[in-house]
Amino acid sequence: MSVNGYIKGAFEIAKGLGITLKNLHRGPITVEYPHEAIPVYPRFRGKHELRRYENGMERCIGCMLCEAACPTNAIYVDAAENNPHDPVSPGERYASTYEVNLLRCVFCGDCEEACPTEAIVLGHDFAMANYERSDFILTKDTLLNPDEPQVIIRPEA
Amino acid sequence: MADTVTLSINDEQVTVPRGTLVIDAATQMGIEIPVFCSHPKLDPVACCRQCLVEMEGPRGTMLNTACNMPCMPDMVVRTNTPAVQAAQEANLAFILLHHPLDCPICDKGGECPLQDMTMRFGPGVSQLVEPKRRAQKNYNISDTIVLDQERCVICWRCVRYLEEWEEKPQLGLFERGGDTIIDVQPGTCVDAKTSGNIIDICPVGALTNRGSRFQYRPWQVERTPTISLHDPMGNNISVDTRNGTEVRRILGRENMGVNDQFITDRDRFCHHWVGHPDRLTKPLVRRSPNEQLTEVSWPEALDFAARRLQEVSAAAGSAALGAIGSAKLSNESNYLLQRMARQHLQTPNVDHRQGGDVKAAPTGVPSLAHLMQPQYGPKPEADLIVLFGVDPAEEIPMLDVHLKRALSRGGSRQIAIHPRRTESGRRGQSLQYRPGLELALVQSLARAALTHTGAADAVPAGWSQTTPVRTGVLQADIESVADALVASESAVIICGPDITQQADGEAVRQALHCLATATGHAERLAFIGLDANSQGCHDVGVMPGRLPGGEAVDDHRARQRLESLWQGALPQGFGLTYSQMLEGCGGDIKGLYVMGADPASENARWAENLGRLDLLIVQELFLTATAQRADIVLPARGWVETDGTFTNMERRVQRSPKAVDIHGSEAAPDWLILDHLCGRLADRSQGYASVQAITAEIAEAVPAYRDIAWDTLGELGRVCARPERDARVEAPVQVAEEGAPSSTALRLFRGRTFYDNSRLCTLTDVVANLIPEPYLAVNPVDLARRDIGDGSEVTVDNDYGSLTVTVRADEEVAPGTAFMPEGLGRQPVGTVLNGRYWEWVSLAAA
Repeated sequence: MSVNGYIKGAFEIAKGLGITLKNLHRGPITVEYPHEAIPVYPRFRGKHELRRYENGMERCIGCMLCEAACPTNAIYVDAAENNPHDPVSPGERYASTYEVNLLRCVFCGDCEEACPTEAIVLGHDFAMANYERSDFILTKDTLLNPDEPQVIIRPEA
Repeated sequence: MADTVTLSINDEQVTVPRGTLVIDAATQMGIEIPVFCSHPKLDPVACCRQCLVEMEGPRGTMLNTACNMPCMPDMVVRTNTPAVQAAQEANLAFILLHHPLDCPICDKGGECPLQDMTMRFGPGVSQLVEPKRRAQKNYNISDTIVLDQERCVICWRCVRYLEEWEEKPQLGLFERGGDTIIDVQPGTCVDAKTSGNIIDICPVGALTNRGSRFQYRPWQVERTPTISLHDPMGNNISVDTRNGTEVRRILGRENMGVNDQFITDRDRFCHHWVGHPDRLTKPLVRRSPNEQLTEVSWPEALDFAARRLQEVSAAAGSAALGAIGSAKLSNESNYLLQRMARQHLQTPNVDHRQGGDVKAAPTGVPSLAHLMQPQYGPKPEADLIVLFGVDPAEEIPMLDVHLKRALSRGGSRQIAIHPRRTESGRRGQSLQYRPGLELALVQSLARAALTHTGAADAVPAGWSQTTPVRTGVLQADIESVADALVASESAVIICGPDITQQADGEAVRQALHCLATATGHAERLAFIGLDANSQGCHDVGVMPGRLPGGEAVDDHRARQRLESLWQGALPQGFGLTYSQMLEGCGGDIKGLYVMGADPASENARWAENLGRLDLLIVQELFLTATAQRADIVLPARGWVETDGTFTNMERRVQRSPKAVDIHGSEAAPDWLILDHLCGRLADRSQGYASVQAITAEIAEAVPAYRDIAWDTLGELGRVCARPERDARVEAPVQVAEEGAPSSTALRLFRGRTFYDNSRLCTLTDVVANLIPEPYLAVNPVDLARRDIGDGSEVTVDNDYGSLTVTVRADEEVAPGTAFMPEGLGRQPVGTVLNGRYWEWVSLAAA
């Protein structure tokens, strides 16, 4: 073996040990998940939410386009006519029923894409475990009142 | 002159009949030309300018509308040149200038011709920078139709439908230029009985269905082709359902032999009773008279029913049992009911409302197509249409629409003979007679006809020589009607059930037959029933005197045929009719099986009679007045909830397939209930697998239905042959006429209204306001004579009962008569009529 070989070997060892030394004083990267929040990317697609306008009116007009766009038939919408004196949403029509079946949903985001009023969005909540199958059906009530209120519109949207 | 012309469209030669429009010739070749105002069922107006195509003419190549240009020999048409495309794009951009982009909330979205045309032929970009025109949105032009003036593209289709088919110009265009809007004509309201069709033909979402508003999206509903059961036409409809449980909307479906493509408003809007919470969901049983009805399981209810039927039969004899079917239910259910009654209960008492009580059994109209004038097609074959005792405007509105067109466009004549000057009667000659005097009237007509044909000596002895004055008809009118009948090449005489419901009904039938024979129209003398399956009920034998097939119960060959088919014996003798059974409750009749009928709400005395029965079994959709009095109530499924076939007034057998399931309900189809009950009564385990199996058995039992099978009926149904006419003209029945009990007595008669108080209408919110309040219509002369004011409360009474009702002065009712619609309000007119069509009553201020 040549001298060059020894020098090169020592350099590689030093380089490797350098990384070890560099990480020696860095804390652990494991996150204490339930106690610590994990940042998600802005375009992350989590649990569905229905948004409102600033005046409190629902954005959803019950047009059922999300239902039509859904590739797994996870969405069920029924529409009804607004009471002109106490409207739920602007215009004549609102969603009287809005249900998302999380067991069917593949979180593809086609519903967001189809929505003409940006009412349905996939939020950042990904903790969706439950004990009952029936709890995986999100009703209008839960969709409109998410645990973490957020008003992010995806940058490209 | 040749009957065809040859022209070239897009350099292809095509030969079409003379008079064909360029657009139809192009459609025939599979070339699409965008249109908005043009509609295959309406006259062309060429107002939307969307169908511009290039035509070569004497003045060079120019753009012309294809929708109103008849094909000419050697015409050269091009639909795909850059000039045509530019015109189409520009026109669509122009139409879209003011069209709001509220497609997401528009009921037409997804099936909108404007959306489709814009995608296919549109420019793709909008040049509009100014704000759009605003107009009324969500504007109710009637209780059932919503107009959105912003979405309207002014194609005139709705205006033209109401003018051309309904002859009721209730919508019109107002303002000019860009401000033009559709609105209701001042002083009118959109109340045409087929007004809902303007929703179907609107090419945008300007007219929408108020009862189905926002209830459906065209891509998410399942469509079932079926028929409606509100009148004997059996209008073809499509039912759109969601989740397989809910009826979301109803559309017209084309059947050129029945309803063209239009339907009545009852067909379209009255469907909210399907799956309604008021429906019966579980069998109910009352074990002793003082108990309440309690819910039980099906086996328990059926066992109890079978046991009680056998007990009553053993105690009082099998003839003490009776079965009442319904002309609103299918052939299969009615066939099984009469089979159960005749074979398993051994009783001849089987009937339905307006069944055996009507002396002239329904024969069916020879062909509805002979009365129709479609937009493109031959003129109606019938040059004279006589309506006797039928009021199509209220009872069969689609027939009324066909007759309007036959009169105005087909050159037919119409003569209406009715106790009232009906809406239908107003458009032709109208003979207004007093109810109860049908015999005198028809005999006068027949005598006049025989005299005109030079066969005066053929007038049967015993017929009066002159027209009795008391009929209220002038001799001159009789002569002119007889003249018209004699002169007519092909007259259709349509007779309603009421005119032969009296004791002299058979004599009326014979006299009508004599009249039709004398004038050469015997083939086209038609007796019809007024319910969806009146014809079918007769054909499958839910009649006290007739077996399946329509033969008399003493017909030896028919009895043999059925006995070998059923492997059982038939009871002897004629049964009691509907009204006789209800009169005989507690007397001759001890047990009654009622399927889909509600006699208790028809006549207060019958309701009382039902309480005297030992056993009342009711098979119903709702807890009706009759069901409330029953010992056993069996919840049934109706119309779109189960399969069945129905026979319309043309003897067209049509399918009504199942479209929805009702969740959370144990209600069972009528045929299935009867099948299980038959199984228990006959102690056999094998029943019918399906409705189709019963249809197959009917084909064997009823000779006229021999070619009928569920699979071969298709979506348009199949007309079965009219049976041999009952040509017997026996010695004329002599019936003594009833004199008036007092000089001030009025002849009160009943009739039907389009919307009535039945649950089929009341459970539909949007038509609730359209159901009339109960009223008594009396001629103003009679009111003035009694010093009774218009709109006041009056008491109507006679020996049978009395009722209090609001009186209405009505000149359409002849002096000496009074009219009260049935099926309205709590006090039924049947109480004073006592199961008949008319009765003497006295009138006094309440």
